Amino acid sequence: MDMKRLIYVGLLLVLLIILVIIFFRKGGEERIKPASSTTFPEQEPLSEEPEETTQITLFFPSEEDTLLHPEVRDIIASSSVGIQAKQVIEELIKGSQNGYISAVPPETKLRELFITEEGVAYVDFSREIQEKHNSGSSAEISTIFSIVNSLTYNFKSVKKVFILIDGGEKQTLGGHIDLSRPFLPQHDLIAN
Amino acid sequence: MSSDAGSIPAASSKISWYQKKILLNQKKRSSIFLWIFPFVFFFLGFSSYPQNQPFLRLSVKDHPSLSRVLIESSIPLSFSIERSGSFLFVKLRADKPFRIQRRPFRSRFIKSLGWASGRDFYTITIRTQHRNFSYDSFTISDPPQLVIDVSPNGGEERREESREGPKRISVETNKEERKVPSASPGRKSIVIDPGHGGLESGAKGKFGALEKDITLDISLRLKNIIEQKLAYNVVLTRDKDVNVSLENRAAEANNNKAYLFISIHANSSYRKEARGSETFFLSLNATDEEARRLAYLENNSAEFEDRIGGDNEDDIKMILWDMAQAAYLKQSSQLAESIQKELNLLLGTINRGIKQAPFKVLTGVACPAVLVEVAFISNPEEERKLLTEAFQNNVAQAIYRGLVNFLRRYSQE
Repeated sequence: MDMKRLIYVGLLLVLLIILVIIFFRKGGEERIKPASSTTFPEQEPLSEEPEETTQITLFFPSEEDTLLHPEVRDIIASSSVGIQAKQVIEELIKGSQNGYISAVPPETKLRELFITEEGVAYVDFSREIQEKHNSGSSAEISTIFSIVNSLTYNFKSVKKVFILIDGGEKQTLGGHIDLSRPFLPQHDLIAN
Repeated sequence: MSSDAGSIPAASSKISWYQKKILLNQKKRSSIFLWIFPFVFFFLGFSSYPQNQPFLRLSVKDHPSLSRVLIESSIPLSFSIERSGSFLFVKLRADKPFRIQRRPFRSRFIKSLGWASGRDFYTITIRTQHRNFSYDSFTISDPPQLVIDVSPNGGEERREESREGPKRISVETNKEERKVPSASPGRKSIVIDPGHGGLESGAKGKFGALEKDITLDISLRLKNIIEQKLAYNVVLTRDKDVNVSLENRAAEANNNKAYLFISIHANSSYRKEARGSETFFLSLNATDEEARRLAYLENNSAEFEDRIGGDNEDDIKMILWDMAQAAYLKQSSQLAESIQKELNLLLGTINRGIKQAPFKVLTGVACPAVLVEVAFISNPEEERKLLTEAFQNNVAQAIYRGLVNFLRRYSQE
């Protein structure tokens, strides 16, 4: 009889070990996935409840003067600066709701956005930002600083903005302003 | 044997666990497999692990003349490499997600390594320290490895784009004294740069005027005026409708040891009302630290020139040359002011100030340099004006007067 009990104990142990192994292997797989996304913000899980929003400020050029004008808008709140920054750019592409000028061609898509530890936001646009751009120094300056100022104004962690096109570094939008270095914001372009 | 154990129940409670195990083994041999089972599973689990999840191991190692980026994997790699500016983008096909390990590194030629994942591919981004580099890649099949060697230019192997940048070109010509045939040696050169050209037509007007045509017309007029009235050679970066890269325009100025550089453009804005002339000089987008370094350059431009003229082609010089304009910002702003003043007088504009922006064409120019936006081609009224001979002549005259005023001061310094 004692022998039987021993066998039961042994079986139980076996079961336990198998369970432990299954548990660890599953855990291992899950640990792997984030490895490929450590440099990028994670996708926000979709929730059923009404989403919390937060206020951001976009900057658009206007017909009136050569300055950039603020326009306040609500975006979905997120703890990730990366996700919020993406929304800021997407809102900027949608254009102004107050009749200001949209300086990013509306056909443009945001391909990727990531922020480095040093505070440089790399913003990767589809090629339309270049192809549909109305080339010219003033137009290029408007486009670039509407992007740069909108990002740096809303996020303290963004110090500089590097504009990429179609996944790579480009010289200029249309032959004028240098895109091969990151931009600092130009505060003197902002209207009061 | 089996009856032995069963016949002494009293004693059995006193035998140790170890002894019981032996007894067990002796009695029911088959039960041993139950013990092996978990271990088999355990090892199976381990060995099958890497098969499920291929890995990529990224590392960088410095060698005397190159930095080697090593991408190791557990599965064969199919890849393509694309180059853009100071980046190399290595695209790897991946049917399954990779487990990526990146070893920390410090390298002379590689600034950073990053990666991004797409639906069925990964992009490894290699950022080099300098734009002017060449690379070579090869694979080793067992174990699967992709090797990318990055070396700064100056090495024997040069790939496409390696002629990029005014820096190297100019450094070389400085060394061998210029061989560029110019009208009269001994005279100083003023380089005029008609914006755009060839396939790159720049801004377009509503009535079809192209920036590239207007800039060339005005530049040719300005060249004539200067040559008639001043003892300077005038060099144009292009004298017909051709493509010239922005770097080559700066190189043209540096190769000719330009005394002044004037880039002519016609503006375009989203604002329908935008009008008037604007004169720009370079802004550098510098952070505090960079600004300090640049301020140093500005105050020590003699030393800066020595270093460019020197023989040792070291990294520092490359960086300096890349920002050659940094040493001339003060003079450039004065030149801009002088030209803008004349343009304001011509157009009757109430003082429109000079502006600063990071223009690509100005960054590498090693002399006072400005970019004149003559008028707005995006404004129909100004577009029409820009096409008239009278306006083009007036603008050329105004720029010329600004130039003369500046030269009077500058050459006395």
